[in-house]
Amino acid sequence: MRLTIDRDRCEGYGLCADSAPELMHLDDDGELVLDHEDVPAPSSAAAETAVRVCPVAALRAD
Amino acid sequence: MVRQRVVVVGASIAGVTVVDELRRRGFTGELTLVGDDPHPAYNRPALSKGFLSGTDTLASITLPALSCEVDQRIGATAIGLDTDRREVLLADGDRLPFGRLVIATGARARTMTDLGAADPGAEESTFRDVADARDLRDRLVDRPRVVIVGAGILGMELASTCAAAGSAVTVVDRQPPLRAQLGRFLSDLVVEAATAHGVTLAHHPAGVRLRGSGTPAAELADGRRFDGDLVISAVGCRPDVEWLAGSGLVTDGDLRIDDRCRVAAGILAAGDVAAFPGDHGHRRTPWWTSALDQARTAAATLLDDDAGAPLVPSPYFWTEQFGITLRVCGPLPVRGRPTVVAGSPAEGLLLTWPDGRDGATAAAVNRRIPISRLRALTRATPSDPPMEARR
Ligand SMILES: Cc1cc2nc3c(=O)[nH]c(=O)nc-3n(C[C@H](O)[C@H](O)[C@H](O)COP(=O)(O)OP(=O)(O)OC[C@H]3O[C@@H](n4cnc5c(N)ncnc54)[C@H](O)[C@@H]3O)c2cc1C
Ligand code: SF4
Repeated sequence: MRLTIDRDRCEGYGLCADSAPELMHLDDDGELVLDHEDVPAPSSAAAETAVRVCPVAALRAD
Repeated sequence: MVRQRVVVVGASIAGVTVVDELRRRGFTGELTLVGDDPHPAYNRPALSKGFLSGTDTLASITLPALSCEVDQRIGATAIGLDTDRREVLLADGDRLPFGRLVIATGARARTMTDLGAADPGAEESTFRDVADARDLRDRLVDRPRVVIVGAGILGMELASTCAAAGSAVTVVDRQPPLRAQLGRFLSDLVVEAATAHGVTLAHHPAGVRLRGSGTPAAELADGRRFDGDLVISAVGCRPDVEWLAGSGLVTDGDLRIDDRCRVAAGILAAGDVAAFPGDHGHRRTPWWTSALDQARTAAATLLDDDAGAPLVPSPYFWTEQFGITLRVCGPLPVRGRPTVVAGSPAEGLLLTWPDGRDGATAAAVNRRIPISRLRALTRATPSDPPMEARR
């Protein structure tokens, strides 16, 4: 599974990072940083949760 | 840990999050998710924004499917709840016994007809689900004249998208646009932008009525009549609790929960359907982040046998309309003028109202700031200058 972020859309809500802190975090400027674009198998459920909770549908898992 | 069968009714963001959270917290018992929407769950807020404007498709706003073990009854409607036998009744005649039940049936659009403010035969449409959004998107191609009743968040977002699609748009209400929701300062910002985008705004304190003869029309109490090719009612939503009739769980139309999302023994609720306790009584908080917060709390309460931590809501709100992206932490509406923490109207503003009746509020207008920092501004005291100002 691969995570992608739509930068134009991401508003830095950080709800995704709350759900999957092992995969992503917000940097000091509030930009989302994907620490693992290729999601390790044990974290795939967390990745799906992160995608789901994003209020502006900016994060995708394919 | 609880092992009884858990049934969750309502398969949108609240219901799906309850299921996901239960499994992520290690629940291994039987789990059933019932949802009457034929579509897999999608991001509802996007309907009035990107989906209506055409930048999004149903595929791009569909939420990831649950990959955990769950018996999903998609397209199944719950029509009753038997609290004695502890069974959910489905429209197809099936009965689902449960040990624990989570109610997440959300809300549906309220109509002017519901409010007794429409003549017999008056035409009105509403906007709540993907079918409504598709209908409107298809109609906007012909640039119809659009009359929107209700100048709240949804009504104004629809006005923004319809105006951008080239329609002549009028929004009518009993109150000035967004005043009751946001307070004067923020609503004035939006009204200015809406007016600049050519939207006609009209209100009268004695209200609006939909007319039943001739072209679809809304009429203010002072006789001003607005004809449209279509009239859209955006006058709030009501909780989807009809299926709970006779269960004894609904009080004055509200499904009341406590701060651990409990309705009754072994029965919980989360999301738009639920009324949460606060200083001013039980109120529904029909927003995305409260649906998430409540869903997670309900899952924790259910598993920890009611010993989990209570939910302390930290209100968070956002909207996009007429070129303004507004994000707010803390209670709304806000009274009085804000303190400008940073920025200017041109580069985006960071504002606080430190002394609100229910606590401080912070808002970002066309300015990116992580929500954690926006929230921190609601906690800063005057002797402890906000982070932005210190930098
Ligand atoms: C157009 C629009 C724009 C919005 N914009 C924003 C925004 O910008 N910001 C924000 O914070 N919030 C916004 N919201 C609110 C947000 O979408 C809701 O708070 C959120 O969807 C609530 O989720 P929920 O799961 O509680 O309820 P819902 O999303 O309403 O889902 C309830 C589900 O239960 C199903 N159901 C109902 N009854 C039954 C039954 N008897 N049997 C089986 N299934 C049933 C329904 O079909 C539905 O799928 C918006 C809402 C709309 C309509
Ligand atoms: S939740 Fe969405 S908007 Fe927020 S940081 Fe994550 S991807 Fe960006």
